[in-house]
Amino acid sequence: MSAFLASGPNLGRGGGVAAWLAGLSPAGKAGVLAAEVVVMLLVWQVVVGVLGWINPVFLPPPTAIWQGFVQLVASGVLWPNLLISLQAWLIGFVIAAVIAIPLGLLMGTSLPVDRVVGPIAWTIYATPSIAYQPLAKAWFGFGIGPVVFLVAISALFPILLNVAAGMRTTNASIIRAGRVYGATRMQLYRSVYLPSTVPFLFAGLRQAVVLATIGMVVAELSGSAIGMGALIIKSVNTYQTGQAYAAIAIVMLWSVGMAQLVTLVERWVAPWTRKGRR
Amino acid sequence: MSVTSATGTMRIVRPRRVVRRDEAKWTWLLIGVVAAILLVWEAAVSWLHLVPEAFLPPPTAVAASFAQLMVDPAFWQAFAYSLTNVVIGLVLAIVVGVVVGLAVGWSAALRFTVAPFLWLLYSTPKVALAPLFILALGLGSASKIALVFLLAVFPIILNTMEGAVTVGGSLVNAGRVYGVNGLALGWKVIFPATLPYSLSGIQRGAALAFTGEVLGEFLGGTGGLGHMLEFAAYQFEMAEAIALVIVMVIIANLTLLLISTLRRRLAPWYDDRKIAGAS
Repeated sequence: MSAFLASGPNLGRGGGVAAWLAGLSPAGKAGVLAAEVVVMLLVWQVVVGVLGWINPVFLPPPTAIWQGFVQLVASGVLWPNLLISLQAWLIGFVIAAVIAIPLGLLMGTSLPVDRVVGPIAWTIYATPSIAYQPLAKAWFGFGIGPVVFLVAISALFPILLNVAAGMRTTNASIIRAGRVYGATRMQLYRSVYLPSTVPFLFAGLRQAVVLATIGMVVAELSGSAIGMGALIIKSVNTYQTGQAYAAIAIVMLWSVGMAQLVTLVERWVAPWTRKGRR
Repeated sequence: MSVTSATGTMRIVRPRRVVRRDEAKWTWLLIGVVAAILLVWEAAVSWLHLVPEAFLPPPTAVAASFAQLMVDPAFWQAFAYSLTNVVIGLVLAIVVGVVVGLAVGWSAALRFTVAPFLWLLYSTPKVALAPLFILALGLGSASKIALVFLLAVFPIILNTMEGAVTVGGSLVNAGRVYGVNGLALGWKVIFPATLPYSLSGIQRGAALAFTGEVLGEFLGGTGGLGHMLEFAAYQFEMAEAIALVIVMVIIANLTLLLISTLRRRLAPWYDDRKIAGAS
């Protein structure tokens, strides 16, 4: 996430805009970015809303999106749909975590389990979860079921495979050191394997948040009567694209917010990790 | 491992992959477990009737459907339709993604101004835009190609950018010492050094491209594998639906395999784990 603030290859001799930007204080940088956001929004508003270069049905200007948001709130359709979506998302995500974390730890502990579950998990993980959506719809009906299923199956494998990878890549010399000091098997797990798996777990959770949101939207777009995806479809079909973009923005905020939450939890629970330290 | 060839120059020879006996043992175990699962599935459905067959057809029925699909011209037509859209969209995404990624990674000013927006767009669940694309571009191939492009391009841009940022300064300086400058520096040093990152972005992009195509077909139009799958599930032809899902699993995994093989051939010096690790 911090790639754009990294120093990067030393390419130019510096000077010009780059040097000016590099010399700014953190507050100054934030100010430049904020100004940029305002400029972008203004340009967008002018190009679509005033000059009309783009058909506002396809890309409504920011003010129309804001109006759409207000309409969604005022007509009362936002809350029920949002609550259903969040409920499905959370249930699916918890199911995924509850299955994936123990199974991942088991994969990391036992070689036979790793060699059997690993290839199967990779095969399913490599396939975009949208492929399973019609099956889920046929099996679980038209309610919240297929959404939960798709969220769970999207979130399960990144968590599982990351936890297993974390257990497998535990530094061998630390394990040996633990053994030398007479650690028992349980002590080794508690104070060597788990701490070194935690950063992988959180990396997996962050990936899972993004994939789970995609899974949720996909499941709701194709064949659900309620939820944010259904709301988006309904708004588009009635050409109220301002509302559709407002709904998309809310889903986006949820996705980014949950990813941030995972990072916050990581910082709190595991301050020794790379993300946690920052 | 390096050996001296006849001309006296050092040549890098990749060590041949050694298949040890205990590795073969695990493969057999895996095959055994998969076979056992299929057997239990078959037993539960067709012998013990624990699950209604219409709901979950036994593996033999799925295999029969699969065989039927393989000789069905309609299937191959749908296959060609889907694959063409994915390939067009993905190639566009690769070209745009690598160029934009290199440019943004290269210039500090661009990185500062544009990269935050790219990150924001990257983390947006852009699948939600699918209905708008269909509204704007119709039910034909155009909306699907555009969706494939939109979904695939951001992982490629961001991975390429990340790669360009992490190009070692000493590599660049060495290039400079040998008089490589400007565009040539980009082509000879930065592009190859970024390549493994771009490829890992393309790998993710390909999976999302697939999602875009199938979602586009779910939402509208009458061509392609996604539509075929949706239709089969809608008709409750579960054997055919599962066979189609298996086809998709095979396509997705073959694509992944192709790209990782490419990465190993084009950038054999690169350690996979550096990209795939916790970040």
